[in-house]
Amino acid sequence: MINMNKNLYNENQTIEEIKNTFHTAEIKLQRESRIIVKLRSDLIPPFLSYAKNYLAFNHLAHFSCVDWIEDNEFELVYLLYSYEKNIVVIAKTRISRDKAEFVTIKHLWRQAETYEREIHEMFGINFTGNDRLNEFILEDWDDIPPMRRDFNTIQFAKDNFYTRPGREDAQDVRETITKKSGEKIPDFAKEFSVRNLK
Amino acid sequence: MREKETTLYFGPQHPGITGNMMVKLKVAGDTIVKAETHVGYLHRAFEKLMEQRTWMQSFPIVCRICVPEPDPNEENLARAVEEIEGREVPERAKYIRVMVLELSRLAAYFLWMGGQAGTAGLYTVPQWSVGDRDYILDLFEELTGGRIYHMYIWAGGVRRDLPGGFPDKVLRTMDYIESRLPEYDKLMFENAIFQKRAKGIGVIDKDKAMEWGVVGPPLRGCGIQHDVRKDEPYEVYDKLDFVVPTYEGGDIWARAMVRRKEMEQSISIIRQVIEKMPGGEYYNKVPNPLNWYVPPGETYVKTESARGEFGYYVVSDGSLKPRRIHVRGPAYVHGVSLLENILVGANISDVAMIMNSLGVCPPEIER
Amino acid sequence: MFNDKEASKIVDIIKNFARKHSLWVVAYGTGCGAIELPPTMTSRYDAERFGIRGSATPRQADVLLITGYLSVKTLKRVIRTYEQMQEPKYVIGFGSCTINGGMYWDSYNTIKALDRYLPVDVYINGCMPRPEAVISGFIKLQQLISEGKADGAKRYRENLEWYRENQRKVIKNWRMPEYNW
Repeated sequence: MINMNKNLYNENQTIEEIKNTFHTAEIKLQRESRIIVKLRSDLIPPFLSYAKNYLAFNHLAHFSCVDWIEDNEFELVYLLYSYEKNIVVIAKTRISRDKAEFVTIKHLWRQAETYEREIHEMFGINFTGNDRLNEFILEDWDDIPPMRRDFNTIQFAKDNFYTRPGREDAQDVRETITKKSGEKIPDFAKEFSVRNLK
Repeated sequence: MREKETTLYFGPQHPGITGNMMVKLKVAGDTIVKAETHVGYLHRAFEKLMEQRTWMQSFPIVCRICVPEPDPNEENLARAVEEIEGREVPERAKYIRVMVLELSRLAAYFLWMGGQAGTAGLYTVPQWSVGDRDYILDLFEELTGGRIYHMYIWAGGVRRDLPGGFPDKVLRTMDYIESRLPEYDKLMFENAIFQKRAKGIGVIDKDKAMEWGVVGPPLRGCGIQHDVRKDEPYEVYDKLDFVVPTYEGGDIWARAMVRRKEMEQSISIIRQVIEKMPGGEYYNKVPNPLNWYVPPGETYVKTESARGEFGYYVVSDGSLKPRRIHVRGPAYVHGVSLLENILVGANISDVAMIMNSLGVCPPEIER
Repeated sequence: MFNDKEASKIVDIIKNFARKHSLWVVAYGTGCGAIELPPTMTSRYDAERFGIRGSATPRQADVLLITGYLSVKTLKRVIRTYEQMQEPKYVIGFGSCTINGGMYWDSYNTIKALDRYLPVDVYINGCMPRPEAVISGFIKLQQLISEGKADGAKRYRENLEWYRENQRKVIKNWRMPEYNW
């Protein structure tokens, strides 16, 4: 597993530097070479610019979004990687779900444009400053953005596509087999059924 | 005299394209003025599907995200779940995983060789290399039961132990493949026409490469030495002895030479793994898959696949099903923003070669 | 010597013999099953000994091989490709995703039954089918051709309204040329 006894000098130094510049950030050292930084949403562009230019985090590894529908918020996650220090910084922020808007970081990393196009299409978040938020993956989509938690994909597939009969879900294949061969499902196996899932 | 601009659709139905995607080209004469990538022809909504399935049910479908090389996907998801849970993997399982990953990398490199030479017009190489790749797929079929999609690596180890006599078969196949590499050199890499079509074309700037998010063999083809297996060793790569090759230039030729040298390194890694493999357990059993609650947490894991850094961002909220699994394939950056940049000023006949050398694989752009 | 009926039977036998031994496949890898096509067409499981080879454009091809699932975006292009092929033409459904949706049964972007949108002659099941299974699917198609039963194109022409209705339900922005050949 990951060795926590390793020399964490680089990570501690990076945490110090971030703490000194961004006082309201919540920083956690998850494990060796992973630092999680939680910020207020308007501090993200200066933080990313600071990390890229001063702390040598010049590789935007990933840019993702998580839908926390219980808190009525979207969480934007930026993953930055520094080749020299070998550290991944996970910078997170939360924006409101009803008014889903954010600024673009296209001027810092060119490839952020692609990530923002996909997040706009899948979650419905508008990125001001990105003028290429047109269709990327889906074509002629007129429903709600599909990766949101309140989009029911099973219902959508049932309504719009014809399915061949004989494939209704949550059918236990053991029942079909036992019906054909005249046996019964033993009692100890009955508790392991897909229908007992919560 | 200015030439008129036309629009060409290097479209989904095309014999020279690496998969089902479209590149919309604006062409003036023979030179490309503007390029736009259109993806979405293979969108199956994996991330939404994985949110509807339990943790164990995600493993059979996750290998279909990247069609030429499915094993890094299974490895990534397995490692992510183990990291969130804190589950230990036995030593033997780690060695077997490394062997499977390196065999898969070799198979992907053979397929790449066939594609790259085919776009240059050298149609003998696909016949040879896809035929040689089949011997590796035979090994996979004996080990896992499937030729392309293995579903072998899962959380806690691997699914079955090695069958009897398997290490000898692997060594024999490695000997055969090593004896074939000089033939490919004579046919493809020392071929004057291939060199003329590859040198100086599709150049990536060295100082901008890291900022543009270039990873994998295109990055090493610019002379920058970075590899996830050396920067952040996972499984048992820190105990194995191998070199990360680089080549200067940043053009198609440099990337081809990097991949050619990495093939030898992969063969050497597989031989070391077979020599050093310990005995013992091969699986740390997970609880009943229908009742398996992974504790809340998040993680980012990455693997070095044949095309670059493959990353998975996994979030768990303590329930039976994952909260969010976001897949970052290496072709996500190479195929959209980098390709649109490099194609400006290129010739139409070089488009297919450039796409093949960057390793643009559409199923992992749109999952 | 021969009357008309026997003459046309003999001509049919010769026609079908020529057609079944020269099946050209459109170069279109529509889904993940396309990864098992290079091994089938190259030196190990040589498909060219059966007369099967790739063709660059749909105008010169006989067989449209739907390798795996079809997303809605690809279905629009596949329909256009199919209608550009000249008769006689055949469609082979490859993999279990064309039969009943496969493992993407709950996806919002893939179609679940190929038969409603295009006329299918032969199904090859598996995920992925092995190259031997692919070749055996082609041999089944050859058998159907020699019996005169591979009439997918005729079904499409005669039931065009039914196919169009199903296609329009799924493809919302219908900007396609009219089918007139």
